[in-house]
Amino acid sequence: MPLFSVDNLTHNYGDVQALTDISLEVPDGAIGLVGANGAGKSTLIKILLGLLTPTSGDVQVLGQDVRTQIRQARARVGYMPEGDCLPIDQSASDFVAYSAELAGVPAKAARRRASESLALVGLGEERFRYLKDFSTGMFQRVKLAQAIVHDPKVVFLDEPTAGLDPEGREQMLDLVNRLAEYKISVIFSTHILSDIERTCDWVVLLDNGRVKRNGALDRLGSHGVVQIELIDDPHPTADILRGRGLMVTVDGFRMSIPAAEGVTTLVRDAFAESGAGIRSMTETQITLEEAFFEVGPALPPPVPT
Amino acid sequence: MSEQAIIVDRGYRPYEGPRGTLRSSMWAIVKDGYRRALGLRRRAWSKVMPWGLIALMLMITMVVIAVAWFAGDLIPDLPSYAEYFDLTSQLGLLFVALTGPLLLVPDRVNGVLAVYMSRPLRMSDYLLAKTAALVSLMLTFYLVPQTILHLGLAALSDDGFFSYLGANLDVLWKVPVVALAYIATHGSIAFAVSAFLGRSGLASGLYLGFIIITNNVAGLIVSVATFPGAKYAALFALEQHPRYFRDWVFGTNAGFLIMEEAGFDAWVSLICIMAIVALSSLVVWRQYRKLP
Repeated sequence: MPLFSVDNLTHNYGDVQALTDISLEVPDGAIGLVGANGAGKSTLIKILLGLLTPTSGDVQVLGQDVRTQIRQARARVGYMPEGDCLPIDQSASDFVAYSAELAGVPAKAARRRASESLALVGLGEERFRYLKDFSTGMFQRVKLAQAIVHDPKVVFLDEPTAGLDPEGREQMLDLVNRLAEYKISVIFSTHILSDIERTCDWVVLLDNGRVKRNGALDRLGSHGVVQIELIDDPHPTADILRGRGLMVTVDGFRMSIPAAEGVTTLVRDAFAESGAGIRSMTETQITLEEAFFEVGPALPPPVPT
Repeated sequence: MSEQAIIVDRGYRPYEGPRGTLRSSMWAIVKDGYRRALGLRRRAWSKVMPWGLIALMLMITMVVIAVAWFAGDLIPDLPSYAEYFDLTSQLGLLFVALTGPLLLVPDRVNGVLAVYMSRPLRMSDYLLAKTAALVSLMLTFYLVPQTILHLGLAALSDDGFFSYLGANLDVLWKVPVVALAYIATHGSIAFAVSAFLGRSGLASGLYLGFIIITNNVAGLIVSVATFPGAKYAALFALEQHPRYFRDWVFGTNAGFLIMEEAGFDAWVSLICIMAIVALSSLVVWRQYRKLP
């Protein structure tokens, strides 16, 4: 069962189209939802949580239709909003326990779960302090604790590292990585691509309300490219390689070819056949950032889902 | 013994216990409402106002019972159950002014609605639970002193405890019905005002100001203005509708009422109370349906 799936999803805010005919199917695990501000990340999360009703399209979370079975879906979902969501006049323990009760956990178990969750995020000692006295980093941890206190199957993290100093950010990313130990899937929304590379194994790139890329991070974010600089005209060699089924991009005296097993052998044979001279040949990696901005060598096609 | 002791760090682990239904989630909101309104599990200053008002309410009851006990023969006209509402309704108004905004405003201002709405709840469930918290708190606020009064007067009755209770059975439905009329009027307006404001204290102040101003302006227009239709201004004396309804239920006339002066029957006040509740509910719903 996919973590969530959307089919022909469109959402408009008045005349502004926030999401345009998106179709996605995402497996469980740590999912990065990446895009610039205004790309549609928060809108997609709100639709997945049933907070927004989409203009058109079908949405399923954990196999439940969010239009008709939203209560069932939300029972196993946690949400860490980007903005403030904590009542400052309560203690961390009281609020997290209350959050568990809202999800249907009985009061006594909720208090125990609150202690366990706050201990996990490193606030075991401070749990009885009022939230008013907490720092930004502690706030973020309490937000994470309330999101996981009821043992959700999936937790939506909306910009969890926002406002954190470098040390706090590292700690938060470590915490996100630890959620996999408890079989909690993560949907991590951010515009910081390095955070995604640190924590996620699947990534959805959104741009202007459309899905730009959707696939496993190891195939999308770190795809290798063989770059060759020639002394002679590269076109005869490129034609030979294309004839052998490779995707070749020519730019002046340079050629680039998606890396794959056996490519270097094919390249060697093609140069032997064409007789062209090679100045240099290197294999480079496309970072997630290059994939997002579509710079650097040619990208592989989107992975079918 | 101590050698055998071990420290077990349970840590975070999957939850395999029971999970409640919508009702248990709503009950959690109601309980949280009680804690917030009464300042429980919060700093000391949060407890001062609610518990001060509760203490005053109980004190009035105790004074009435004490007077009946020590000077009942000297003061034959002790406040009736209807008149007791007049003695305490201003405290009730203050309690609603305090409680209504506290139940709604902090959740919205602190952004907690986003957490509520990620749980198996809809906004309508949240608002219903908040209404249940307000109504049950206010019913307790009104009915506990009335119950103490009732039992106290029964204990002091010359006819005997049970004879007094038997002779006043009608009180058992009249007092709760009138209390509900007060709560419906005051509570729904307090919620409507709170739905728009970002500070609980400001909402409390504006609510009280709104009630006082509408009452005084309506009273002034009805008694002074001579233009046709001036009497309809009485309909805007919002605070007086539950009082007129109370007189109707108890069959008494506990004092000057603008609606009565304007020539309206008591059932018009009942209609007005229902209209206030409907309009306030609509206003709150329109404001909340687009949140968070």
